[in-house]
Amino acid sequence: MDCYTANWNPLGDSAFYRKYELYSMDWDLKEELRDCLVAAAPYGGPIALLRNPWRKEKVASIRPVLEIYSASGLPLASLLWKSGPVVSLGWSAEEELLCVQEDGVVLVYGLHGDFRRHFSMGNEVLQNRVLDARIFHTEFGSGVAILTGAHRFTLSANVGDLKLRRMPEVPGLQSAPSCWTTLCQDRVAHILLAVGPDLYLLDHAACSAVTPPGLAPGVSSFLQMAVSFTYRHLALFTDTGYIWMGTASLKEKLCEFNCNIRAPPKQMVWCSRPRSKERAVVVAWERRLMVVGDAPESIQFVLDEDSYLVPELDGVRIFSCSTHEFLHEVPVASEEIFKIASMAPGALLLEAQKEYEKESQKADEYLREIQELGQLTQAVQQCIEAAGHEHRPDMQKSLLRAASFGKCFLDRFPPDSFVRMCQDLRVLNAIRDYHIGIPLTYSQYKQLTIQVLLDRLVLRRLYPLAIQICEYLRLPEVQGVSRILAHWACYKVQQKDVSDEDVARAINQKLGDTPGVSYSDIAARAYGCGRTELAIKLLEYEPRSGEQVPLLLKMKRSKLALSKAIESGDTDLVFTVLLHLKNELNRGDFFMTLRNQPMALSLYRQFCKHQELETLKDLYNQDDNHQELGSFHIRASYAAEERIEGRVAALQMAADAFYKAKNEFAAKATEDQMRLLRLQRRLEDELGGHFVDLSLHDTVTTLVLGGHSKRAEQLARDFRIPDKRLWWLKLTALADLEDWEELEKFSKSKKSPIGYLPFVEICMKQHNKYEAKKYASRVGPEQKVKALLLVGDVAQAADVAIEHRNEAELTLVLSHCTGTADAATADKIQRARAQAQKK
Amino acid sequence: MAAHLSYGRVNLNVLREAVRRELREFLDKCAGSKAIVWDEYLTGPFGLIAQYSLLKEHEVEKMFTLKGSRLPTADVKNIIFFVRPRLELMDIIAENVLSEDRRGPARDFHILFVPRRSLLCEQRLKDLGVLGSFIHREEYSLDLIPFDGDLLSMESEGAFKECYLESDQTSLYHAAKGLMTLQALYGTIPQIFGKGECARQVANMMIRMKREFTGSQNSIFPVFDNLLLLDRNVDLLTPLATQLTYEGLIDEIYGIQNTSEDFFDKLTVEQEFMSGIDTDKVNSYIEDCIAQKHPLIKVLRLVCLQSVCNSGLKQKVLDYYKREILQTYGYEHILTLYNLEKAGLLKPQMGGRNNYPTIRKTLRLWMDDVNEQNPTDISYVYSGYAPLSVRLAQLLSRPGWRSIEEVLRILPGPHFEERQPLPTGLQKKRQPGENRVTLIFFLGGVTFAEIAALRFLSQLEDGGTEYVIATTKLMNGASWIESLMEKPF
Repeated sequence: MDCYTANWNPLGDSAFYRKYELYSMDWDLKEELRDCLVAAAPYGGPIALLRNPWRKEKVASIRPVLEIYSASGLPLASLLWKSGPVVSLGWSAEEELLCVQEDGVVLVYGLHGDFRRHFSMGNEVLQNRVLDARIFHTEFGSGVAILTGAHRFTLSANVGDLKLRRMPEVPGLQSAPSCWTTLCQDRVAHILLAVGPDLYLLDHAACSAVTPPGLAPGVSSFLQMAVSFTYRHLALFTDTGYIWMGTASLKEKLCEFNCNIRAPPKQMVWCSRPRSKERAVVVAWERRLMVVGDAPESIQFVLDEDSYLVPELDGVRIFSCSTHEFLHEVPVASEEIFKIASMAPGALLLEAQKEYEKESQKADEYLREIQELGQLTQAVQQCIEAAGHEHRPDMQKSLLRAASFGKCFLDRFPPDSFVRMCQDLRVLNAIRDYHIGIPLTYSQYKQLTIQVLLDRLVLRRLYPLAIQICEYLRLPEVQGVSRILAHWACYKVQQKDVSDEDVARAINQKLGDTPGVSYSDIAARAYGCGRTELAIKLLEYEPRSGEQVPLLLKMKRSKLALSKAIESGDTDLVFTVLLHLKNELNRGDFFMTLRNQPMALSLYRQFCKHQELETLKDLYNQDDNHQELGSFHIRASYAAEERIEGRVAALQMAADAFYKAKNEFAAKATEDQMRLLRLQRRLEDELGGHFVDLSLHDTVTTLVLGGHSKRAEQLARDFRIPDKRLWWLKLTALADLEDWEELEKFSKSKKSPIGYLPFVEICMKQHNKYEAKKYASRVGPEQKVKALLLVGDVAQAADVAIEHRNEAELTLVLSHCTGTADAATADKIQRARAQAQKK
Repeated sequence: MAAHLSYGRVNLNVLREAVRRELREFLDKCAGSKAIVWDEYLTGPFGLIAQYSLLKEHEVEKMFTLKGSRLPTADVKNIIFFVRPRLELMDIIAENVLSEDRRGPARDFHILFVPRRSLLCEQRLKDLGVLGSFIHREEYSLDLIPFDGDLLSMESEGAFKECYLESDQTSLYHAAKGLMTLQALYGTIPQIFGKGECARQVANMMIRMKREFTGSQNSIFPVFDNLLLLDRNVDLLTPLATQLTYEGLIDEIYGIQNTSEDFFDKLTVEQEFMSGIDTDKVNSYIEDCIAQKHPLIKVLRLVCLQSVCNSGLKQKVLDYYKREILQTYGYEHILTLYNLEKAGLLKPQMGGRNNYPTIRKTLRLWMDDVNEQNPTDISYVYSGYAPLSVRLAQLLSRPGWRSIEEVLRILPGPHFEERQPLPTGLQKKRQPGENRVTLIFFLGGVTFAEIAALRFLSQLEDGGTEYVIATTKLMNGASWIESLMEKPF
């Protein structure tokens, strides 16, 4: 491995920087990069080039061409630019290409050159034109900052939720700033600009002059400024060839460097690694690349070609016509292992494993050395970590082999970190492949997350690879395979040359009942593309009615929506469709629709019962449901109408309906009620008091209680109250009145159809034993004992029971024998029993 | 923890804790002090799962009953409405919110729909211009509430009426949702049996909902071996009879003043009907009850019992009873009588055929030799009458319904069996002597006597099946009849 560190360049005493090739580009560019507008998305994203951008001397025949390539140089899209002159290009966090036109209109394109949408940066920008523009990324999303011809700034911090903010004016600003950048502090976007020797910070409220601490004297102009990937650091390049590096808050200087080159650099970007103490910026001129940091010497590279720098989270990508390279600070683990003459545990372990492969006993020596220091765990961890930072699979393998070898000598080394690294590297190697062209480093991949990476594969329509990764990593279906299939399906529905049937079938074949796939989302997409029929076909596969029905309504397939809602059993959904239909259809059609859907009809009836009574009547009428109509009119007769005539009229309608319903009983009963109502009214007029709405029974009772026996009799006859009930009624009423005389008269009016026991009972209930006894004697033999007991004549009850020779009666009487008074009677019964048993 | 819920074969505390957790999560979403405005109907069910202390722990400081016009004053940050999704309640809420806006400091409004969010209600709130006033609009799927270690109820008062009178299957949908929740907690139930129209619908909805949930494969080992869905209208008889178990009696007698003698007479009549004596003519005890204007519910219950035990009454007998009732208690009850007819509780005999004796004999509904001290059969719960519903459950477990196909055809609605396939890893290998666990769901209500009968079966040494009981509502004959009564004024 002697040559392994050949491309390591020290910067100061503590850090190495290395540059290695990601891809050799054969994108066959027709023009020099310098003649194009260039935008490369971070995280190994795509590269956009606008050839022949708008020039002052307009040559009508040469239209600009927009080309999009993968990071490996594979063409993704190429289109003739037909819109206005473009000032700047940039990629959003969602990998959408933002093209800022001179008139302030921003056109948004997809990765494949598909036009998505456009928006304007406002009137002020339109009037003053765009002088310069930057696309920047914050935690809220991707923003656009504009410098207008009037030297004013306008920005939007999130193009997804466009809110334009016009920044304050810089007092006395006459010309364009020499350089500027967007900063992001305390979750707010700011603008830092340089005018001559002065720096100004614009926030949304004010413009303030700022001074970098410890800036070398003699600066009359700033030529270039650079903010780090995380907005934490700032670098300034002055016309004296001096570079100031500090915090973006401008509160602290980190270091400075004098490169003695006064020519303005083409690009300056930060090159740092998360959690590293090292700070460095990369400065590029036409043919020279310089890495400077907190060290007296810089690292210098010669650029053979026109090159472009792309800042990344943990380094800088540099691409040109023919190559694509990555420049970064060598990570600690790699440094420890590979540094010449390193005695770090990882380095020893790697050696041990190599010796082991050579079957040399040196393996044992190395291993012993590590173990004696108790550093084997650390060694394994180092090798695993270093493997992650290697770009070349053979190096990854050799480090992982060493880790695996070391693990054998450890009792309890948790396997997850090793397994996970193997998996991650497998994924990384797959996506770094030339054909895919996403050169993510391990740190970038972890920062981006697997979910976002999958999204990006989907964006590139690399569905099979995405699915393979999901399956390989065993991601839950809902987040993994299903989601990707759903995206695939959404793409599929846009293929307008394939018939609805074929698309629907293809989608269902592939998706089947895959959990987590939302057919309604796909259908919504199809509908969005104007393919309603396809959407309906897709919705057939949607099991969730809650999703299916609203979309059908949106597509104006209300009747289909209704039957789907009914199928689901979700009554709320049915109601929702019904109310929709009610507004959409005329009344006749609406009723007809209901008629064919009994379940919906009954629900709607319930709705009407509470909300629209009149409609309810119409519904019954339509269905010739006379029975319900009858009930409806009965309710009406009680509800609103106060006057008797109105109530009777309602009842007449009810009676008519019942006749139509062939419900003779209800019709007759209703007619009786009409009669009764009128009569009650009359009684109220003639006798005063309250009669209306009393039952027939209570009306008669009230009359008896009021001493109107004649009327009571008449009423009972008119309405044919059965004799038995009438006797009960009178008995109860007279007892209530305690009119014992009348009661006795009544009892003798004819033979009681209910016998005389009720008389006894009711007198006793009123605590009138005297009266009760009168009737007890008249009670028939079957109930005699009961009656005698009721009036407290235990002795006589015993006699009767003995006479009846009825065992049940004897027992009953015996149970009433209490205290000494009844002792004799009890005796008598016992004797009678004994006698009966003898026989 | 509620100890009484965890003694059974199935630990219903799991369900209780799950619903409590859901409630806490919702309350915590509305940060700060709160007042709850209750749909009065919900306070009972909520009391069973969350005491005031739980609410208090989550900064509920005030509780009001939902009423029109203004809300009472309360110095709280959040006002939360706990309501059923009903349009009339939305109107009240809107009134509350609108009158609130005009005075005092701004407060955050939220709605918790129980048990389901409703597009219809939200549309109404939108129409009333207050939808935007609510920060959180969520649903709280409190479908099945654990009452006891083996007992769950939806406490849905109107379920029977809605299903059988109004063809409104909302409560069936909730029942199906509740069963899905149970399955999420206790595993997929591999076999579903059912009898009745509603049972069929619930099973259909469950199968459909299962398709909707394909995403989350249930990996819980099934606790229930099977589910039996029973329509209340398959057995209209049982709730009409007076329950004679301890709990049943308390339930029956509570609030009703009757002399013991009269109670005895009533029982005698009931028993006569159930054993098939004199069911086809006017009963003089009922006649006397009407003449003495005994409580209407008692009368209706007896008349319905007679009708059910005779597969309907002769037209003449039916009309006589109806006329007597209308004359005595008032014409307005014609609506109630019609409701009872629609529900099949009171009806003219069709085709002059009385099927009840066949059902009674085949299912051995009437047992003459009942030992109430040491019962050997479920008929002890009604002193001779074995509840039809429970008999169906018993016969299903042994020897199976195939033996009673004929009777099943006489009883209303389809009977069916569905299987829900399980992944091999979750299939149960029953140990010898291990009982099966059946979840029996009464759609339209269950009585305490039926519960007692099922518990009796669960406890039998050689029974082979233990039951967990679920229902739309715990009820008795009186509350049931009352739910079907209609008072137009």
